[in-house]
Formats: sequence, C-alpha cells, structure tokens
Amino acid sequence: MRHCAVTVAALVFVACLAVSARAATVLLQSKPVTATIGQLFTFVTTVENQSSSPAAGLVAHLNVLSNDPGTYVDPEDWSSHRTQYLPTIGPNRDLRLTWTVQVVNSGSFSVYVAVLPRHGAGDVVTSAPLRVTVAQRRTLNSSGVLPLTLGIPAIIGLLGLGAHRRRS
Amino acid sequence: MTTVALSPARRAWLVVADQELRDLWLGGRGLALTFAYSLLLSIITYLTATNSVLNFLEQREAVNLTLQIGVAFGALLVLLTTADALSGERERGSLESLLLAPVHRADLVAGKGMAALSIWLVAFVVSIPYLWFLARGVGIVGVALAGGLVVGTLLSLFLAGLGLLISSLATSNRVSLSLSLFVLLAFFAPTQLPSSAQQGWAGDLFIRIDPFSAGLHYLGKILVDGHNAGQEIAWLLSPLIAAGSAVLAALGASRFLTLRGGGPS
Repeated sequence: MRHCAVTVAALVFVACLAVSARAATVLLQSKPVTATIGQLFTFVTTVENQSSSPAAGLVAHLNVLSNDPGTYVDPEDWSSHRTQYLPTIGPNRDLRLTWTVQVVNSGSFSVYVAVLPRHGAGDVVTSAPLRVTVAQRRTLNSSGVLPLTLGIPAIIGLLGLGAHRRRS
Repeated sequence: MTTVALSPARRAWLVVADQELRDLWLGGRGLALTFAYSLLLSIITYLTATNSVLNFLEQREAVNLTLQIGVAFGALLVLLTTADALSGERERGSLESLLLAPVHRADLVAGKGMAALSIWLVAFVVSIPYLWFLARGVGIVGVALAGGLVVGTLLSLFLAGLGLLISSLATSNRVSLSLSLFVLLAFFAPTQLPSSAQQGWAGDLFIRIDPFSAGLHYLGKILVDGHNAGQEIAWLLSPLIAAGSAVLAALGASRFLTLRGGGPS
C-alpha cells in the first residue's frame, strides 16, 4: 500500500513536469526591430501558465538565427544572458521576461524564446519570432586618420630632438 | 640628479618638483616616454579606423577601447617614473646629497610625485586629438575627455603613491621596477576576467574592489552604455580610496627613506 502511494506520487510529479511546459505558452510582446550594428535593444516575452496547477522548473532560453544563408551568427555575441531559470508560475498566472540584445551582424534575423522543463519529459514551447533588421554601417570614417596618427608622434619626436640638441 | 636649494619664499616640495620637472622634460626622458605613448595611440587609432575587424566595433566601443588603453598606459608611465624616483637616486649615488639637503623627506617624496604626475597630464593632452577623431561622430568627446581625466588622474595618483612607496623602501632600482610592475600586473589581472566570472555578487565585488577594474568599468558604463556620469559614480570609490591610501602610504614611508633602502631597521 505504501509502495503504491509512493509510486502514484512519483507518477503525479513526472506528469506535472511533463505538462508544465506544454501548459505554458510564450507570447512575444514586441514589434519588429530595425537597428544598426552595435545597438542595444530590449524586448519582452510573457510566459503564461494556462493550466490549473503551478508550473515549476521551467527554463527560458533566447535564440538568434539569420534569415539569410551565409551569415554566421554566434548567439553568445548577441546576448550574454540568454538563459533565465523561471520561478514557479501559479495557475492561470503569467511571468514577464525582459531580454537585452546587442546586434552584432548586419542583415535579417529572427530572435525567439524557447521555454522547456528543466528535468524529465516535456515539450518545448517557443514564442513567435521577433524579426530584426540590421542595417550595415561603417562605424568610423577613416579619412584623415593618417595625418593624425603620423603627425602627433612626429611633432613629439621633433620636440625630443630639439631638446636633445639643446642639451648637447 | 636632484639638487635642492631652498629659497625662503617657496615651499620645499615645490622646489623639488621644479627640479624634477626640469630633469624629466629637459633631460629628454619624459619626451621619449610620451613619444612611445603617442606611437601606441596612433597604432590603436589607425587600426580602429581602418582595420575591418576593429572598425566593426560600435563607435562608442572604439572610443572606450582607445581611452582605456590611453588611461592605463598613461598611469603606467607614472609608475615607471616614480619607481625609479628614489631607488634610482640611491643607485646613482645622488641620494646622499638629497638626504643632506634641508628638506623634509615628505617634501622630497611629494615633489617627486608631483613631477611624475606631469607625465600623465602630458599623456592626457596627447590623447585628446585621438579621442576627438574617434568620438566626434557619436557626440561623446566631452564625456570621454572628462571621464578619462578623472579616472586617469585617480589611477595615476594611486600608481604614483605605490611607485614612490616601493622605490623608497627598495634596496635596488631593479627590485623597485620589477616589484612595481608585478604589483601593476596583479591589479590589471581582474580586467581580463571573462564576463562569466564577473557575474554574481562575488565577481561584482571583485571588480569594484580593484581600482583598475572599477575605473575602467566606469568608463565603459558612461561611454558604451551611455549612463550618466553621476549615476555610476560609486565605481570611482575604489580608485579614490586607493589613490588616497597610496599617497598617504608613500608620504608616511618617507620617514624610513635611508641611504641603503630596505625600510625601517
């Protein structure tokens, strides 16, 4: 009898884990973003627990991909905080998650958030993709750099030579 | 070599500083160090502006990179100058005449420290055109210059005090220079921590305690993140305390300044 109760409790726990991610939905709260390289932007997603039991042990993960083949994307460059371990979300409650991203490539990208249970079985639920269009921008106009980078050491060098001649 | 002849109207440390400034700048050592400093900034600025990888950086980050290198190396020049200030006199045999001069030893140390700080001020002036060139497009020239001057001056004061402290106690110039550089590297090390190690309260505390990490972090906050200078002022607490402590320690250690070095016996 006691073994039976333990088994039932374990089954209920596993079942809760299994349904926790499935019962949750991830809603994207932001509009498409147009940015330039280096720009930081934030967007918000909401994780909703639509079931009548608490959703525990969920983790949300940010992903970035290029919509164009040939553009390499390293999501670590886009955000250093891509994973959020979520607290328990009560029945029919939601949780706002804010994500900060820095665009480091030019082109067309999709950013989305996936939510899944940390342990056991369960589905992965994802948000709608946030479309990000990044304009190519040459960050610095290099014209005029040569006179500057040669001129200043030259002036100081001439001053040094003058001081040396004066001493000798 | 410093020779001191006091006139009654002038403070002793001013006379020492005056003589040291002449030695440093008319003797050519200051200009040689400034020339090397300008070459370094030229290379960094040229690469930032023309290299396809570095120019890929957001322009604020390019300004931040150049300013941090300028501040760090400007402070390093101060350390190199002060680390040689007293142990160098000792090794060249000119410390004896200095110690016999009617000057309080704290004045001697203060005068040498003031002269060494001039190299930071000149380095800062040299860095202005580079920073202007890089920062003009994003309108952060003023912030970069003001932030760089404050952080650089605090770090230079810290290293001036540290260099003079080591130099006054070291038994040889070689010991003084190597120990100073070793301590400097130890203070620089936390700036190279990976970003993952800087997370959490321990990493944050580590960065805030280290004057170099805190000062350079402050520059990043106001230049790259666009934060208000006053909003992030707490990051300057560690450089401020370090500067005050090092200067006081150097002045206090001047009591133990002896012909042979080695500290109190």
